[in-house]
Order: sequence, then C-alpha cells, then structure tokens
Amino acid sequence: MIRGAVRQFVVSLRLYFRNPLAMSYGYLFPTLFLAAYWGLYRFDRVPLVRHVGELLTITVLGGACFGLPTTLVSEREKGVWRRYRLMPVPVGSLVASTIAARYILVITAGLLQIGLAMLIGMPRPQHPFDLWIAFTVVAFAFLGCGLVIAMMADTVPAVQALGQTIFLPMLIIGGIAVPIASLPEWAQHASGFFPGRYAVEILQACVTGDGVGSMLFSLSALLVIGVAACTAGAMMFRWDEHERFAMRRDRAWVVLALAAWAGVGVAAEYRGYIATTSAASTAGAGASAQTTDITIDAAAGPIQTLRATSAEVAAGAPSTPAATAAAPRADATARPDSSRPHPTSWVAVSQQDIDADLTFDRLPPDAGVITPIAPSTEEPGPGTAESVATLAEALPQWMPGSTTDPVQRVRNLLYVAAVPDLLMMDTERYVPAVVYQRIQAQTERSDLIKILYWIALHPFDDDDRAVDEMGSLGLPPASATNAEDVRARAAVYGVKLLGRLLGRIEPK
Amino acid sequence: MGFRDVASAVTVRGLRKSYGHVDAVRDVSLNLHEGEIFGLLGPNGAGKTTLLECIVGLRLPDDGEITVAGMDATRRAREVQQRIGVMLQSTALQDKITPREALQLFSAFYRHAADPAQLLEQFSLTDKADATFDTLSGGQRQRLALAIAFVNRPEILFLDEPTAGLDPQSRRELRDDITRLKKDGRTVLLTTHDVDEAERLCERVAIMDGGEIIATGEPRALAAESSTMQSVSLSTKPQIDAHRLTGIPGMVDVVSNGNWVTFRTPDARRTVRELTALLEAGGIELLELHVHRDTLEDVFLRLTGAENDP
Repeated sequence: MIRGAVRQFVVSLRLYFRNPLAMSYGYLFPTLFLAAYWGLYRFDRVPLVRHVGELLTITVLGGACFGLPTTLVSEREKGVWRRYRLMPVPVGSLVASTIAARYILVITAGLLQIGLAMLIGMPRPQHPFDLWIAFTVVAFAFLGCGLVIAMMADTVPAVQALGQTIFLPMLIIGGIAVPIASLPEWAQHASGFFPGRYAVEILQACVTGDGVGSMLFSLSALLVIGVAACTAGAMMFRWDEHERFAMRRDRAWVVLALAAWAGVGVAAEYRGYIATTSAASTAGAGASAQTTDITIDAAAGPIQTLRATSAEVAAGAPSTPAATAAAPRADATARPDSSRPHPTSWVAVSQQDIDADLTFDRLPPDAGVITPIAPSTEEPGPGTAESVATLAEALPQWMPGSTTDPVQRVRNLLYVAAVPDLLMMDTERYVPAVVYQRIQAQTERSDLIKILYWIALHPFDDDDRAVDEMGSLGLPPASATNAEDVRARAAVYGVKLLGRLLGRIEPK
Repeated sequence: MGFRDVASAVTVRGLRKSYGHVDAVRDVSLNLHEGEIFGLLGPNGAGKTTLLECIVGLRLPDDGEITVAGMDATRRAREVQQRIGVMLQSTALQDKITPREALQLFSAFYRHAADPAQLLEQFSLTDKADATFDTLSGGQRQRLALAIAFVNRPEILFLDEPTAGLDPQSRRELRDDITRLKKDGRTVLLTTHDVDEAERLCERVAIMDGGEIIATGEPRALAAESSTMQSVSLSTKPQIDAHRLTGIPGMVDVVSNGNWVTFRTPDARRTVRELTALLEAGGIELLELHVHRDTLEDVFLRLTGAENDP
C-alpha cells in the first residue's frame, strides 16, 4: 500500500511538471504576484518583507482551492479515479498521496517566491524553520478545503465557481489582500471566520515576528480547519463522475468543514482575539503602502535620496496607496540654502542655519504611518507595553547609546526609534518617546539642537553599525532592515525631536 | 452468505441493482467455471456493465450474493481485488502518463505484480512505452487497459466490451490476446454486444436483456436448444406470391422480399417436399433454395426482440 502511495505521489508530480498550463498556474502566477507586490510597494524591501504572509497565503490558496480540486475533478471526469477504485487500497492512502504531491508543488512555489524576493533585496525570514512549520499547517488547512471543493464540484467549471466563492471573500474581507485594519469593523470580525486571516498572521510572524510560538491561536485555528476539511473530504470522496454531489447522502459532511470555520470564528470572538489583533495592527497595517522618497539637497554634496517619509510630506495631505505610488519626489524637511555658507561641524550650527534650512510644517504627522509617535496619553496594549518596557530598561545599558561621540550617540539612539517604524512593529509608536527621553537625558539641550540639525542635513555620515546590535533591545537583527532606510527614518525622527525642543511642533 | 462452489470462479445469486426507479439488474444469478471464458451478451442497456461492475466492486448491489475466488466480494473486496483483473469499457488515464508509468503505478498497489516491461512486450506496447497516453491510438489504449488488468497476474479477468469502438485490425489483435488467456487457463468474464465475438471467444454465454438473464449455455447448444425451427429462403421464376404458400403445413413467418421468399418451419424436409410439388403444379421454376438452422445471432435477435426493431 505504501509502495503504491509513493508511486502515485511520484507520478502525480511528474504529470504536473509535464503540464505547461499547470506549471504556469503554479509557478508563474506566484512570481507575478511577487512582482505586483514589489511594484505596489515601490520596490522597497522592507515593506515587501511585511507582506510575505499575504503572498504565501495567496500561493497556497491558489494551489489548494483551484489547483488540487481542478486536478481531482478532471481526473474523475476522465474516469481515472474510477479505475483507481479497482485497486486494493483504501481511499485514504490515495487521497493522502495526492495531497502530498500538491503540498510539494505549493511549497516549491512558496520557496520560489521567497528566493526571488530575497534576490531583490528582501531580508531573510527571521524564523525559517518556524516558517516551514507554519507553511505546512497553512497548506494542510487549505488543501483540506480544496478536497472538500473537489467533492462538492461535479465538473471543472463548478470547481472554478466554488473556488471563487472562497477565494474572493477571503482576499477582500479575509485579511489576505486587504489589511485587516483597513476593513470596517464588521468585516474585521468577519475575517475571524476565514482561515486566510490566520494563515497571513502565522506566516508573517515567522518572517518578521516572533515565530510560530507567538501565534498559537492561529496555529490551532488552522489545524482545526484542516482536520475538519480533510475528514469531510475523505468521507465524501467520489470516484465516479456519475455520482452527483446533490444526489449523495453523505453531502452533510460539508457541515463539518463549515462548522470548523464557524467554531474558530466564535472562539476568536470569545477570546477577544479579533479585537486585540485589530487594534494592535492598526498603526502598522497601512504603513507600507505610503512610503515614498524625499530628497535632501545637501549643501556641498550630491543629491541624496531618503527612502523614508510619506508622500504626505510632499503633498501636504493624506494620500492613498495609489496616489502615493505616483507621487513625485519631494524635498521637505531639509531645504539647505546653497547660496549661504554652511557650518562645517555640528558645533558651529546656529539658529540661523536651522531657520534657513529646516521646515517643520511638512513632516509626516505623528498619527500617520511614517515615523509615528503615540500621544503621551496613549497607553500601549499589554503585549506591546511589555516590549516597550523591556526596551526602555535595556536602553541605558546599550553600548552604542553611550558612545562618546555625541553625534554618533544621538544617531544610534535615533536608529532605535527608526527600526520598529520600518518594520511596522507594534511598538513603533511608543519607542520614540523612550528614545527621546534617553537622548535628552544624555545630551545638553543646546548641543542636542545642533546635533539634530547636523544629522538632518547629514543623514548618511558616520556609521550605522549600531543597527546590527539591536538584539539586546529586543529588536530584530540587521537582516530584517536596510541601514540606509534606517538612517533616513532616524533623520526624520531627529527633526521631529528638534521641532519639539524648539517649540515648533506641539506634541500631543 | 456462506455458499462456496469449489469449481466456480464466480458465483452470483439473486443480484439486484436499481438506479432510482430503473431496475438495471433484476434477480440475476450466474456461475463461472474455473478456466472458462464466459460471455455476457446483450444489447446496449441490457444491464451487462452494471452486473460486471457489481461483481468487481465498483457498484454496491441492492440485494444478492457475489462470490469471487471463493470469497464474499462485498465483504472482502480488497482481497478479491488482489486476485482479479478488470478492463473497464473505457479506461481513461491522465493525458500525460506513459504506458510504462501507468503499469509501474498500478503494479505498485498489488502484493504479486507482473514485470511492467514484460507486460509491455506481451501486449505489443514496447514501442509506445514512453509515449504519452493522449498520443496512443484507440487500439493501443485498449491493449494498455488489458495490460493494466494483468498487472497483478489475476486468476479471474473481467473485460467489459473490450473491442468496442476498435478498427478491425485492433479488434483482431485484442481477440488474439483474449484467446491466449484461454490457453493460460484463466477465467474470463467478457461482456459484449457482438454476437460473433461471443461465439468466437466464449465457451459459454449468457444473454441479458432488460436487466435479466434470459438464456445461458454454450453458443451452439444455445442456438440448437432455443429453436427447433429452421429457416428456408427460395427464389423462383416467375416470382411467387407469399400468400400462395400459406396452405403448406408447418410454414410460419412467410415474408416476401424482392425475388426472395423466406419462412420458418419445424420440419424442413416435409415442407420443402410439399413446396416443390406446389411449384411444379403451378409451372414455376425453382431457381435457388437455402435451408439453415438458427445461429446464436438469430437466437440473440429473437430473444432480445432486436430483430423486430425498425
């Protein structure tokens, strides 16, 4: 029996790789999705890494909700499964080997996506082993759903229709193509009833978060959905195309598969999982869609590009992702006047230099998604508060934050604010206050004003080795970020602090 | 259940199978002897395929008992499947699978499997071993289906309309393959609607119609037993009216067809004697006269009512 199942597994894979259409669907489409995400998020590797969960989920969803049932139903229509039925093997082994072959196809498509993404600059996933575990569980859940679709659909066109009824709602309100936080409240609650949401969360947690261990609810939800779907699919298994679904007595097993979705949704509501996740992700969810470039014309050097602040800087108004993508470059916070002499060191910086070269009215808003800063009255959620407290406690001992060069020291501390922002971490809105407090405790106000001006106009001076040393603060390793991006964000945070020190920005 | 006939390879008793309100198989019983080729003969829709599919485990009968190789076929289906080979009416495989892969795949599911390379050679598929299924001709596909039925060296083979839709050359090759089975001593249940095929290949046949078996026996005996009548056809000059012959004793079913008149009679010698006397008396010249006994086809057509079809 095992020999037969292995042989069927091998043959299924061979047949798949001989089918150009299936190959296109399985590998070309995921690649196109990757390219689309990359383009949509303006080729910025940090936002791309924040969307790997969505990308991989779409890949699995396509392979499971369309690929698996299309193959099964077309083979059933041909009579292949009718012939298989004459073999002395239980249905379970044939179904298992078919699903296993499909798993290989989706995981190779996922690896292709990750490999290509890394080739274009995406950092390495933080928890590769966990990612494999999570991907396997996600695939198990969706392949189970695909099996149910195959048993419900009498024909290949019916597979497309049924697949779309799952695929489209999951994309739109299931947390896959549209960030949960962008959805109306009812849809956020509805998303808890779709496995797509849990798939995105757990996969993303393995790429930029704390791994599978931090997503036990999502893991359990996917396992429950997968077990129910595989059971229902196996119980309803049809060998013969003449056995129409509507005529079968065992069609009630569909209820089991649907009950798992409903049960998971109710459990999520009951445990407050949905509300918590929505609130926590609000700040970060839309951020990646609003990155843009600003150009600082440094006094004596070439044009430098900061891939940092929002299009809002240039446009002066909130923008949609599409509008952002089309927005032109803008020189905003720093406007050096080349007709006048500039200070040659931070010590020589004067108020006149600051007034001439910096503006504060076009900075990204603190409540926005680029360099956000939470109002002092806002308390973080329990998990976030713990992370912020850990960082605040570790910061005084963090060596790069105590280096003797005052400019480098301030830069290093500003990097600490910039990294959570770039990675859209839950703590991003609260870390700047901790950093500002630490900077002000270490540096005289008058010196700090000059230093912050200096950093704003020279964001790429000095070194950025501190970015590699953030592990002790509970922040991701350097591979998850791009040092240039960190420098750019740090400069904006510096200007925001400078505005506060000068009374030009009213903190909320 | 519990009955077992040592000399029987397959025994079916009181089998019934319905689809909704349609009775596809009605109270069918039959018995296949070990080593014989048994034909299930009947027109399309007679219930042959449903009966065969119930025996091999593709369909669950509503009622009745099926014993295959001494085992209850419904309760010990997997064990039965280890020992039988099946060629379905239309065996479709994946478009891109090759005969070699198909044989390797199917043989992997059995405890005792034949060598795929040997099967390819046995069924003249070596040249096409690595061609994809969608490029094979109808005859090659049927031979592959037969080869697949052989992967487990089965004791009993079930062949459903094996030569249907084939060109004459492919049909002859496949019939030769089946004839070889007889020499190997295998038991074969063959369904067909081709009387000639049944007569050539089968040692015994059962004629099915309307879901029932209406006659069983050796083809020649069946023809002899089922009818004591002989058919007579004659041509005369000038042409004779059929109604002039109705007075001859024993003559029935008199039909005029162009220059020919045909009729049936239980005593051909006496009827022909009286017929020739009548013709001489009327000055009518007898040009040709043929007398023959019913063939299996005549029996089949008469029993199934097909001879009366328009």
